[in-house]
Amino acid sequence: MGDIHDVPRPRIATGHLAQHIGQPVCFVGRVEKIHPTGKLFVLSDGAGKNTTVELSEPLDEELSGIIEVVGRVTNQATIMCVSYVQFREDKSPFDLELYNEALKIIHEFPEYFPFG
Amino acid sequence: GGYMQSPGGFGSAGAQAEKKQRSRSQNIVPCTVSQLLAAEQVGETFRICDVEILQVTVVGIIRHAEKAPTNILYKVDDMTAAPMDVRQWVDTDEAGGENVVVPPGTYIKVAGHLRSFQNKKSLVAFKIMPLENMNEFTTHILEVVNAHMILRKNLLAASRVPQSCPPAGISDMGGFGGGGSLPLNGLTAHQSQVLNLIKSCPVPEGMSLQELKLQLHSMSMSTIKQAVEFLSSEGHIYSTVDDDHYKSTDVE
Repeated sequence: MGDIHDVPRPRIATGHLAQHIGQPVCFVGRVEKIHPTGKLFVLSDGAGKNTTVELSEPLDEELSGIIEVVGRVTNQATIMCVSYVQFREDKSPFDLELYNEALKIIHEFPEYFPFG
Repeated sequence: GGYMQSPGGFGSAGAQAEKKQRSRSQNIVPCTVSQLLAAEQVGETFRICDVEILQVTVVGIIRHAEKAPTNILYKVDDMTAAPMDVRQWVDTDEAGGENVVVPPGTYIKVAGHLRSFQNKKSLVAFKIMPLENMNEFTTHILEVVNAHMILRKNLLAASRVPQSCPPAGISDMGGFGGGGSLPLNGLTAHQSQVLNLIKSCPVPEGMSLQELKLQLHSMSMSTIKQAVEFLSSEGHIYSTVDDDHYKSTDVE
C-alpha cells in the first residue's frame, strides 16, 4: 500500500469526482459543515458545489476556512481523506473562485500542467 | 537579480562555457515537478520544448525538511508527482540567522536550478519564499500553463520558419521581441523592446536614454524611463557612466 503522496494527485473540483472514482486526487474547498462525529466534513468548491470528505480518524481540531485535501475518491463520489492542510489566510483571503478558474484551465490544457 | 554560482562545475569552465551560461540566465520558467521530471537532459543541461532551462520556479508544500551542516534538504510536493528534493545551501560563515528551516506543511515558492545526479532530478534553490498570500499559488498554476504554452508555440514556430540566422536568439527567451516569439520572462512588450536595444549596443558606456528615445519613436520618454527602471531593478541592465547610460547584464 504505497504512500498516496508519492503519486500524481490531480487537482479537481466537485464536478470531476465522478471521473476519478478510485483515484488519488487533491481537492481544495471551503469548510461548510463538520459532522458531530468529526469523521466527516463538507467542503464547497469555487463553483459552490459541495464535496463530502471522510476521515478514518475523527478530527482532533476545529476546521475552518480553506482546506486542501489529499485522498482517494470513493465509489460514492466522496473523498476518503489521507491528509489535509489549511491554507493560510492571515494576510489575504484565498480567492477560491479564481482557483476554480485555474482548475478549468488545467483540465482544458493538461499538456501544460501534467499530473504524472 | 544577479546570477548565483552554484557549487560544482561552473567555476572552472572556460570563457566559452561562461558566455553560454550567461545567455541563459534570464530564462526562469515556472514549472510543475512533473514537468521538471520530464525535462530532457542533454549532457549537463536540461531542455523543455527544446529550450534550455536553467532557472525554474516551483510552488509546493514542504512534506519533509532535514537540516545538515552545509545544506537544508526539503521535499516539496505540488501534487503533480512525488515530492521533489530541493536543496538549499547554508551560508556557513553566517552564524544562525540567514537559513532557518521552513517547517513541513508550509507552502513555498522555490527559485532554483535543475540538477540530476544518478538519474535522479532535484533542485538547488537560490531562493525559498514561504507563501504569505495563497493566491500566489493559484497565480503560479496560471503562469505555468502560460509559460509552457508559449514554449510549445515557439517550438512549433521555430520548426516552421526557416532560420536564415543562427538560432542563438531563440534559446535566450529573455526580452525576445522579434521573430514572432513571445517573451517568456514576464517582460512587457515595451520592456522587451528597450532591453533588446540596450543589449544590441556594443559601446562600453552602453546606450543612453536619448538614444533609446531616438530609436523607439512610438514610446514616450516616461515609458522608456519606467522600462529602464524596471529592467534595472530586475537585474537585466545596469547603469554605466551615469544614470542615463545602461548596458545589459546579459552578454550574447
